[in-house]
Amino acid sequence: MSGKVSILEALGFRKASGVGEAGWGRTLAAAIISFIYFLPVLFIIFTAIKPQDVALSVPPTLSPTSLFGLIPDQFVFTPTLENFGSVFERSMTVGGAPEPTGFDRYFFNSIVIASSSVLLALVIGTLAAFGFSRYPLKGNDTYLFIILTTRMLPAIVVIIPVILMFRAVGLSGSYTGIILLYTAFNLAFTIWMMKSFFDELSLDVEDAARIDGSSDVRVFFKIALPQVIAGLAATFVFGLILTWNEFLFALLLSGPDTRTVPVAMNQAVSSGGRGTDWTLLAAIETLFLIPVFLVTFFLQNHLLRGVTFGTVKR
Amino acid sequence: MAGRDVPALRLSGISKSYGKVRALSNLSFEVAEGRFFVLFGPSSVGKTTALRTIAGLVATDAGQLEIHGRDMTTAPIAGRGVSMVFQSFALYPHLTVYENFAYPLREEKVGREEIDKRVKETAAMLKLSHRLERKPNTLSGGEQQRVALGRSLIRRPRILLLDEPLTNLDAKLRHDMRAELKRLHRQFGMTIIYATPDELEALSMGEEIAVMREGAVVQRGTPDELYERPIDTYVAGKIGSPHMNIVKATLAADLSGLDTPLGTFSPARRYASATAGEGALLGIRPHDLRPAARGEAGVVTRIPLLEPLGDVTVVSVQAGGETLRMVLPEQSATGLKPGDEMPVTFDLNKIHIFRAANGQAMT
Repeated sequence: MSGKVSILEALGFRKASGVGEAGWGRTLAAAIISFIYFLPVLFIIFTAIKPQDVALSVPPTLSPTSLFGLIPDQFVFTPTLENFGSVFERSMTVGGAPEPTGFDRYFFNSIVIASSSVLLALVIGTLAAFGFSRYPLKGNDTYLFIILTTRMLPAIVVIIPVILMFRAVGLSGSYTGIILLYTAFNLAFTIWMMKSFFDELSLDVEDAARIDGSSDVRVFFKIALPQVIAGLAATFVFGLILTWNEFLFALLLSGPDTRTVPVAMNQAVSSGGRGTDWTLLAAIETLFLIPVFLVTFFLQNHLLRGVTFGTVKR
Repeated sequence: MAGRDVPALRLSGISKSYGKVRALSNLSFEVAEGRFFVLFGPSSVGKTTALRTIAGLVATDAGQLEIHGRDMTTAPIAGRGVSMVFQSFALYPHLTVYENFAYPLREEKVGREEIDKRVKETAAMLKLSHRLERKPNTLSGGEQQRVALGRSLIRRPRILLLDEPLTNLDAKLRHDMRAELKRLHRQFGMTIIYATPDELEALSMGEEIAVMREGAVVQRGTPDELYERPIDTYVAGKIGSPHMNIVKATLAADLSGLDTPLGTFSPARRYASATAGEGALLGIRPHDLRPAARGEAGVVTRIPLLEPLGDVTVVSVQAGGETLRMVLPEQSATGLKPGDEMPVTFDLNKIHIFRAANGQAMT
């Protein structure tokens, strides 16, 4: 048994053996609470694989399987993948021929816009955070505070001036425009996050590198940056989740070609006068969940583990 | 041998303030080439700032720094030929021991094979060969300390700065590392500037010691000089363990006698700078006090406390409202118990007399 590595471990999960030190009671409580948190997501995933006519049945069907007879037959539905197909191609009129919906484009848009703005904010924000941490300006805290003010109001409050600004410079509807806007919004968060990670590092370590002959630039790249990889991963994931799900700015500032999934989702299910197509909506949401889920999954080891622990005596 | 007389290091009138806090105040000293030089003083006296100034990590407000005869006051850090070991060790946490050693050489663009050779040499010298692939946080405190030392030595610096390098080690390791550092100094012959608040480290390792107070050097000398001729009560109180006994005294009108609560004594020599009736302080080393022999004149004292330390016993004695400490060999102290009376005496050649007004030694 000991030589074997389970699939979960190979994928990066910690080895699960028994209930750990917490004991059965706490483990059970954690499992129940986690399940409650996961329930809405599970409900969406199940809806995505329900046949359309079953989606609104009363009483609702609850599970694609009877769990070995545990769940009565009237609550069990037969799963289907049909809804996922209709995300990308379906007939727009009753009895009409299937047409492409453009969702491949919208997914592409979401991925490009979210990842480029989060990465851009990460690059600029990390450099800025290092600056704020190591070379403080006179009135350093004031600048940090001002940076954060963009995040203090709900988006809807600043949306009108933002739209006017983007119209004035001709950026509304373009990739550049929406990426710039998201970058600016992510910057505030990135700078604050990364500054706190840099503040935690030992200055002696960087001074040691200077004495060993490193320039300030090399101190940053060779010494400081490698120590905050956990911070970069965490900031990237949180920024990605915020940007990926952003709706209001995308609705008002993206054009037909630059539309992101949240905006397209809204339009796909609420137009056509046929009422909300719940299985289609759930299918889009399920697909929409996958990229962020994967990124978070692969970065989780970095999220859980810092590299600086225990290296410097204080 | 041009420059045999040029000091490895010369600081002249260096001052540095952080806001309103004065870290260095007109700091001046010289260190001869190859010397094991100790900067000694309690914490926040400016030792670390002095070292950081020499390394180039701190820009001074005033004064001049010369390294091997060249003005390096504002020179960049690289090129000073100075290495430093930090109190916190400051190892690169994301790099293995091998990479920690290799880092300074890589920054100097040394070739790969030469780096490999020198890393392995250094590791062998510090008994770290079996730890090269480990990250610093998996090492013991003593091993981390040796990595820090190795990383500083691998560039073969002419000047090595050590900032309280043993403070974070336990007592046994400290003892071993003191010997290790002396061995390395003998082996490489570089100039070492060693900052410590620990008197034992200062006296046992330093060929020369500078006692610091408030960002300046109070007195500089060999351990013996500082012990025998402390320039003031500050140095007298810092050097020597247990610390020097200090008793209030008054100089007699004819300057020949010294009135103290213990009695009146006639110092062995005249103090030219003294004035009649001036307040003074009498200093007697605990090692210079001894029980009076039978029939010999002595101050009658009572013993409130005995502190046996193994080979010696520290005996507290009280007389005239003063408490003095006396160090006796263990066999001379057997049979003594608290409450006993004992006449004690001391050699008048070995007393120290300071001015009460400013604590300066009288000349």
